[in-house]
Amino acid sequence: MEKSDVLTFAGRRFRSRLIVGTGKYPDYVSMQRAHDASGAEIVTVAVRRVNLDRTQESLLDYIDTKRYTLLPNTAGCYTAEEAIKTAILAREVGLSDLVKLEVIGDQRTLFPDNEELLNATRVLVKEGFVVLPYTNDDPVMAKKLEDAGAAAVMPLGAPIGSGLGIRNPYNIKIILETARVPVIVDAGVGTASDAAIAMELGCDGVLMNTGIAGAKDPVAMAEAMRHAVLAGRLAYLAGRIPKKLYATASSPLEGMIE
Amino acid sequence: MRRRIEARATGMELIVNGKRREVTEGATLTVLLNELNINPLRVAVQLNLEIVKRERYENTVLKAGDSLEIITFMAGGAE
Repeated sequence: MEKSDVLTFAGRRFRSRLIVGTGKYPDYVSMQRAHDASGAEIVTVAVRRVNLDRTQESLLDYIDTKRYTLLPNTAGCYTAEEAIKTAILAREVGLSDLVKLEVIGDQRTLFPDNEELLNATRVLVKEGFVVLPYTNDDPVMAKKLEDAGAAAVMPLGAPIGSGLGIRNPYNIKIILETARVPVIVDAGVGTASDAAIAMELGCDGVLMNTGIAGAKDPVAMAEAMRHAVLAGRLAYLAGRIPKKLYATASSPLEGMIE
Repeated sequence: MRRRIEARATGMELIVNGKRREVTEGATLTVLLNELNINPLRVAVQLNLEIVKRERYENTVLKAGDSLEIITFMAGGAE
């Protein structure tokens, strides 16, 4: 792979196109090992009240901020106002000015509320944040978010934690055709092939959490995902053969034995 | 009996992260974070709905009835 094949957004460059999360791990140690195995350089974190009964051990003890870029998310926010407040508090911690913007519209599907999401994106972009919005696979919405100043667009593959993979590759392909910012599939990845498929479509990256943290062996799955993202990206760059209904022989017709 | 009177004279009640808490009278934010064993470099603080910049923690004196939100990064996300 060329050295120049990096993921870039908002003036930052990353060699790894896999972004991982911190939730749902059995414990902090397995999380740390999974992060290491994944090769990821960006890790998402939630923004919450300090647990005053347990200030001894904290998440940040297990994430080397010199090695990983923190990507605070606005998980749990259902309105633009909540998401904006959360993003502002997250930036105050002083460890990141990136925000993975989530504004949820429905508790069961955790699908985004695109209207609130767009409002929050506009406000946060104006406030100088690097905004990466979690959205659905609607090309019209993706374009609006991009025009609003989002540094990337992150269409879901399937509902968060569902493990259903890339449910609408065609829409994502359409988004890829017109997007001028990176397109990073976020949510729904269940196993390695899902991540590879996203990359083969031409996506710039994949973000996942449950797919790794919820696996029987998170560290092994993290490694699998690392390979999947690499393989998918290489396959995309290599230019696949077209799909055909009928066979085309690979061997020459001359020189046949009679 | 004497100890209880002393405690009432030197303590004040605040709300920290939604819970009532007794804090040393006249404590600054720095003192409070210290008492709570919290690293100031890993949190953001909101006092009565306004964010307090870190460089002002030392000079921010807390009063009885103040409401504080002390926020940090935790494991998780919706995914």
